[in-house]
Amino acid sequence: MVKIPKRHEVCRKFKEQGGKVAAVLPIHYPRALLRAFDILPVEVWGPPQVDVSYGGAHLQPYVCSIVHNALSFLKTGGLDETDLIIVPHTCDSLQGFGSILLDFVKPRQPVFPVYLPRGKRQEDVEFLVNEFKSLYRGLEKITGKSPKTDEILKRIEIEEKADAKLKELYEIRGEFSFESGKAKSRSSKGDALSTYDFYRVVRAREFLPVEEFIELADEVISEYSFVREGVPVILSGIVPEPMEVLNAIEEAGGFVVADDLACCGRRLYGGGKSSEPLKRMAERIIFGPPDVTRGNLIEERFEHLKYLAEVTGARGIIFYTVKFCEPELFDLPDLKNMLKSAGIPSVQVEIDIGDPLPHQTITRLTAFLEVLA
Amino acid sequence: MIKAIGIDVGSTTAKIVGVNESGEFVWSYIEPADPRVEDQVERFLEKVREMAGSIEGIPIVATGYGRNLVHQATKKVTEITCHARGVFKQLGHGGTLVDIGGQDSKVIVIGPHGEVVDFTMNDKCAAGTGRFLENTAGRLRVKLEEMGNVALSAPEEVKISSTCTVFAESEIISMIAHGVRVEPILKGLHRSLVKRIVAMIRSVGLVPPLMLSGGVVKNPAIRKMIEEETGEKVILPDHPQFMGAYGAALIGLKLGKG
Ligand code: SF4
Repeated sequence: MVKIPKRHEVCRKFKEQGGKVAAVLPIHYPRALLRAFDILPVEVWGPPQVDVSYGGAHLQPYVCSIVHNALSFLKTGGLDETDLIIVPHTCDSLQGFGSILLDFVKPRQPVFPVYLPRGKRQEDVEFLVNEFKSLYRGLEKITGKSPKTDEILKRIEIEEKADAKLKELYEIRGEFSFESGKAKSRSSKGDALSTYDFYRVVRAREFLPVEEFIELADEVISEYSFVREGVPVILSGIVPEPMEVLNAIEEAGGFVVADDLACCGRRLYGGGKSSEPLKRMAERIIFGPPDVTRGNLIEERFEHLKYLAEVTGARGIIFYTVKFCEPELFDLPDLKNMLKSAGIPSVQVEIDIGDPLPHQTITRLTAFLEVLA
Repeated sequence: MIKAIGIDVGSTTAKIVGVNESGEFVWSYIEPADPRVEDQVERFLEKVREMAGSIEGIPIVATGYGRNLVHQATKKVTEITCHARGVFKQLGHGGTLVDIGGQDSKVIVIGPHGEVVDFTMNDKCAAGTGRFLENTAGRLRVKLEEMGNVALSAPEEVKISSTCTVFAESEIISMIAHGVRVEPILKGLHRSLVKRIVAMIRSVGLVPPLMLSGGVVKNPAIRKMIEEETGEKVILPDHPQFMGAYGAALIGLKLGKG
């Protein structure tokens, strides 16, 4: 089992060293900008184990469990250690969450909504740059710091390095190349890294300081062996919670060779070009892998998944969706049909992130893998 | 002579099937599901021993929601694959198989060679399953076996708006309180279940012919209404309730032959 510190330990250590901690809701935000202000972003994808009745007092039952759990977590003191809360405008539910915080719940910490444009035009980049400017001013106020261009660029460079490392991890483990070049080969030594552990490492990007993440990734690459075994599949959706789903897939003979998960594969941003830091961060997000929450068309998602299936040799796609996640669910009927016409089978399973993995879900996944085998 | 055994540990019933050398259905047994799955499976195997002598070396394949508790199994395979195998062997063609079980229902599109092309399951809720009728049968004091005929005897039907088993029950209580007769209520209940099933069929896309399996197919109203709603004639295999266990036995037979 790869050793990864717990989120609260990471927060405590970072604060002891004089930094601040931001609770960040899904999905896209400027990590480097926060770190330039000596703020550690710690993401809140739920979390799974909370008493959801606290959030339920403010939210409609048809709001997804990520938002329900996040609000419950906040109300039960789960975010007490954090100094600010960032709520990207990912979907209506999260935008509503931001408004509820600002207008009703009014937490102790300042709340910063970040509006994300739905497109890839130049105006969209400018819009996002302006959002980052206003976030910059807000962070200036609460930290008293005003990081310069070169300081932000330095932070961007490290974040880009970490994202490249993350890509490398996927490529080594799945024996493929995102750029469709030659697969990276690597001698096998050490214990085999399970899918579960691989995703623990990938998801450490949600809270580890970037420098520590790079160290962790390097350590995993050098100390573990990667075995591509089983029926290769792509996992799509928001977040692999409960993480036992990864064991269930492995036990049923599947191998998650790549993913299109909001918390993982959809944030494998490419390297930026602009020397203007805010623009560079905006471009990286806007031109990242297709994501329905950033307004990418179904056709773009289809092309991306088809390409991923080609380069990885995946035989099918598992859509692991969060119940009531509107953006995801809107796309799925058409997306699945397009994949079907292209000869790529898929299955959809729906979960509530706080629930244990139901045996019916396991049966559905196992049956799908039997079909693919 | 039994050459392979299939055991289907379902949520409502447990079934066992034995097949001969050529994969013919030669023996079967069914019991209501016992929560002590291991004991029940042991009892089942004892029955096979009594009938066939030793089962040493005979492959056993387990399926159904309790498949992982069948420790004697050579292999465990999901209901989806097993049902497709069983029905294909019995009917000799592909199509769309609807299996309505006690607690879950599935629609499986079977290809021309017996392969599973697509499937969907209603797996989180009892609506669209036998349990929906079972629950409400109790409330209406009609025997489960008679429900279908009673429903078909009604010239008219009432609309049940709740697809949820629990809400449907309260809706029925209120209808009874308003003097509505049992027959049209029952007919409406069957319609409600069938509409759920048909929605599942549409979600995978109906590839004719339409085939039906599972315990609920004994109910004539379900068959008739599925035909009405889809406009397709329904075909039944010989042992509709045993298709999962039969398919499992067929997979076992293949294992035995290496
Ligand atoms: S799961 Fe979907 S609806 Fe919920 S926060 Fe994420 S994107 Fe929004």
